[in-house]
Amino acid sequence: MESREWKWGLVILGIVLIGYILPYTLLTNIAAWYGSLLLWSLLAIMIIIVNYFLTKDWGE
Amino acid sequence: MSTNMVWWTIAIYIIIALYIAYLSRSGKQNNMASYFIGDRKLNGFVSALSYSATTYSAFMLVGLAGLTYKGGVGAFGFEIIYFMGVSLVAFFGPRFWLVGKKYGYVTPSEMLGDRYDNKMVAVVVSITSCLFLIPYSAVQLAGVGYLLQGMTNDAIPFTTGVVLATVLAIVFSFIAGIRSVAWTDSLQALLMIITSTVVVLLIIKGLGGLGGFFDLLKTDQPESLTVPGNGFFSFTTFLGLTIPWFFFSLSNPQVSQRLFMPSSLKSLRYMLMGFLVFGFIYTIVSVVWGFSASLMFPDLANADLATPKLLSSDLVPPILGAIVMVGIMAAAISTIDSILLTLSSLFARDIYGNLKNETDDQKQLFVGKVVIPVIAILAFLFAQLEVNLIAVLSVASSAGLIVAVPAIVGAFFWKRGTSAGVLTSVIGSGLMVILFELTNIKPLGLASGIWGIVVSSLLFIIVSLLTTAPEKKANEFLSYIKTELGKLKTVKTK
Repeated sequence: MESREWKWGLVILGIVLIGYILPYTLLTNIAAWYGSLLLWSLLAIMIIIVNYFLTKDWGE
Repeated sequence: MSTNMVWWTIAIYIIIALYIAYLSRSGKQNNMASYFIGDRKLNGFVSALSYSATTYSAFMLVGLAGLTYKGGVGAFGFEIIYFMGVSLVAFFGPRFWLVGKKYGYVTPSEMLGDRYDNKMVAVVVSITSCLFLIPYSAVQLAGVGYLLQGMTNDAIPFTTGVVLATVLAIVFSFIAGIRSVAWTDSLQALLMIITSTVVVLLIIKGLGGLGGFFDLLKTDQPESLTVPGNGFFSFTTFLGLTIPWFFFSLSNPQVSQRLFMPSSLKSLRYMLMGFLVFGFIYTIVSVVWGFSASLMFPDLANADLATPKLLSSDLVPPILGAIVMVGIMAAAISTIDSILLTLSSLFARDIYGNLKNETDDQKQLFVGKVVIPVIAILAFLFAQLEVNLIAVLSVASSAGLIVAVPAIVGAFFWKRGTSAGVLTSVIGSGLMVILFELTNIKPLGLASGIWGIVVSSLLFIIVSLLTTAPEKKANEFLSYIKTELGKLKTVKTK
């Protein structure tokens, strides 16, 4: 893998792990829209942004 | 909803879709690459919409909404973890695309067979795909049958819906191969997302706006906003669902084959980014849909009724309900026709092409075309029978297809991988997944998909280390990718 790929790959791994861990720990008792629902939405948006940068060099 | 209105909406949809399929015919589809992967010339816009329509079947507005109804926000988390897994396309996409173009691959299993230098690899991986994907298509067909039957109070019988979906899937595949599939997919993706978003907005408005919607959820069913919530989404269940789906973009050939199709890396990028935006919106819409149903009809006996109930509620104008219903039908068909085309190409290229001597591209194309209706009819027959094994195989499909993932990863990232390693891991862990699903065994409480990926990885690594790797092919394959990916950066820095 290219070094750029390693860097972004680790960021994605981090986002995925947060997506598994936080809802089942810190957020288990937060029964509101700003709990797991918001967290997963924000993580999804972060994934979109990461992919945007990861694929920036892809040309014609 | 009146049966008449449903029929009219279906008729209009069919006319528009057929017209678009007809328009998509460009050039001559007289070879395998042209018919099955559009000569590697698909533009980014169509690629993105078609990828979305193929990935998102009727599962979203019926299944995911039902899952949200049953288990709350955990369903959202499950779908978001899948969504995160699509990032694999950012790593594997350019690699698939580069070698596809260089070596002329039409199917992902053909690529594996060549990379591991053993035709049997292509044969076995293709057979595994057929084994798990035909029942999966059958369930989609049955879904259309149940939807039409349910929404019209039995006025459109189950079989009529299934026949309709089967015929449309065959026709969309036949008119111009992947071109007609991709173009009708695009229409269907737009129909799906626009109409379902409008419905959700109407419902939220009816429930007192976004604030009112969340207040209701918080007071009526606070547990639906957390995991494990009411207990449905225990952590092991969540893991068991999400792990196989995380790898969906690699394990399912009807989507991984699409990595060969875009006209350039720029189009591939457009496909990925377009899909991510589409998927994010559609996921939120489907989950809000499920939440709304749970607020409006808290006591349904069967969560799969959530969507039909919602569509026939007072908050949704009947004509919009009918359009969305056709949209869900279209979602199922756009998934089935892509699977149909992919399986036909796998059969023609990898099974027929490798097991029969003296085949050429023309003969394979002929076989591929003949096989399209045969596979469709098989799926149709499966949809009619309600045999236990079919249900098992279709549930197992995401778990069963995952057994090829170590081989795919190894093809690009591990020189030491061998064909013996691939064959042992795919056959061994594939049989194990079927056995676990048939007997309902969950060792250590973990689902078959998790065991599938763990055992297939172990088998692949251990057997590969014990056997001799195709060194020459591996070096050539990997150094080509390395050089080409290196060029990307050089172009950029110039």
